[in-house]
Amino acid sequence: MVHPLREKAAVSGIGETAYTRGTHKSALALQLEASLAAIADAGLSPRDIDGVVPYFPGGGIAEDFIANLGLPDLKLSLFVPMGGATCVAAIQSAAMAVASGVCNNVLIAVGRTGYSGARVSTRLQQFPQFALAAEFEAPIGIFAPAQLYAPGARRHMELYGTTERHFAEVAVVTRQHAILNGNVVMNKPLTVEEHHASRMISDPFRLFDCSLESDGGAAIVVSRSDRARDLKKPLITIMGVAEGHPESPASIAQRPDLLEFGLAKSAPRAYEMAGVGPKDIDVAEIYDCFTFTVINQLELLGFCKKGEGGPFIMDGRIALGGELPINTHGGLLSQGHVVGLNHVIELTRQLRREAGKAQVKDAEVGLVTGYGDMGDGSIAILRRAA
Amino acid sequence: MSTAVAPPAPERPMPTPTRESQPHWDGLREGRFLLQHCSACGKVRHYPRPVCPHCFSMESEFKEAPTGGAIHTWTICHHPFNFFFKAEVPYVVALVDMDAGVRVNAPLRGVSEADIKIGQRVKLAFEPVNKEVTLPFFVAE
Repeated sequence: MVHPLREKAAVSGIGETAYTRGTHKSALALQLEASLAAIADAGLSPRDIDGVVPYFPGGGIAEDFIANLGLPDLKLSLFVPMGGATCVAAIQSAAMAVASGVCNNVLIAVGRTGYSGARVSTRLQQFPQFALAAEFEAPIGIFAPAQLYAPGARRHMELYGTTERHFAEVAVVTRQHAILNGNVVMNKPLTVEEHHASRMISDPFRLFDCSLESDGGAAIVVSRSDRARDLKKPLITIMGVAEGHPESPASIAQRPDLLEFGLAKSAPRAYEMAGVGPKDIDVAEIYDCFTFTVINQLELLGFCKKGEGGPFIMDGRIALGGELPINTHGGLLSQGHVVGLNHVIELTRQLRREAGKAQVKDAEVGLVTGYGDMGDGSIAILRRAA
Repeated sequence: MSTAVAPPAPERPMPTPTRESQPHWDGLREGRFLLQHCSACGKVRHYPRPVCPHCFSMESEFKEAPTGGAIHTWTICHHPFNFFFKAEVPYVVALVDMDAGVRVNAPLRGVSEADIKIGQRVKLAFEPVNKEVTLPFFVAE
């Protein structure tokens, strides 16, 4: 039986601000600027938005969207509290809302002053999901994501022989892609040697294994497919979408297998809903809060076996022109950190064939992941509908 | 004219025990490693919480547990994300599979970085940081 949500919803509009380090704008202003761009890109008026999923905490809430955009009749206001997995998981919520008829056009929006505002270790204290880490791990000196995720990377290295050369490959290829984009924070080439020489943050993560603290906003509009067909851009449908939550979701320390998290549950569900598998994917935008996180997710996505992610990514396989081009926009590592909504925007551009110098030829089907909140994992599979 | 005032020394982040976790912290303060056990099915759980995820009983008791364990993985923190830890870096934090059946994340002291291995035996020790709070750390067994 075909899944009732398959291709019932579409990404109809995408918008983003400049990604910078330093801004005078508020996170809310960045979020609204990106929202207006996404709504215009869809060929809609702000008055057409009847559902909002703002990234939280940071930026605005539904009330801000009603007040600023003059929304006449907002029918759905949601938070999806999944950290870095939020934006892609929100696509599932939005797809449910439009497919069921509750809404016509749902806005998902992020505004972030990660560089000019509060930094990551301060921001996390606003997350209720981090209460256990605050009680048991912050006092002994473990709190920032780099410190929380580094032990999993170390275990992968010890068990499977993954090396920092593998980590560097993700950083270097991502930077090559960023340079093609034009709207990125990091626009100079990065070498393997520069990666290896960068300062250690939380072993085995070096500076260039970590995503950027940047300022910027990003937004997308999710609409009913039968309505989006009449809008001005090519129709990009949501074939499959899913969220997954790991065992011991608020404590990595107590998780039986540190390398098995939410995506292990959500990826098979999304593939089944979409009716496609890893072999059908032309381009993948993988949540890259850390280089190693990309390697780990490629395993859980079924592109290679568990433990083989390091060798898998080598020899140009994940670069443009390779078998599985990833993070063709520069990702969180080199473009900017808007909680991965930039990954959704890039996948949509690829499938619309609007990706410029980074265009993957004839891209038809692609996937995007979200990862965060200590192991939540979300995935969406999008298609350029005929 | 401004008067230079030395800023207060940065403070260590401190735990805020919950009603569920208070007995565990009380145990550490007394130099005892107390873990929550389900009163109905007997299974251990950590971190402390109200319901046993195995049998859904809400009755539990804290029992003293063995302090030995084996290293599951580790990290070495070089960048201090909090001002207090500026004076501490670099420091090793080990995640340990305790013989008691739970994991504990705590600093590992007295072991050189090059010698750390998965499976290495360690034991829990106790460091009072003030009158109320004692934090765990690991040393070689």
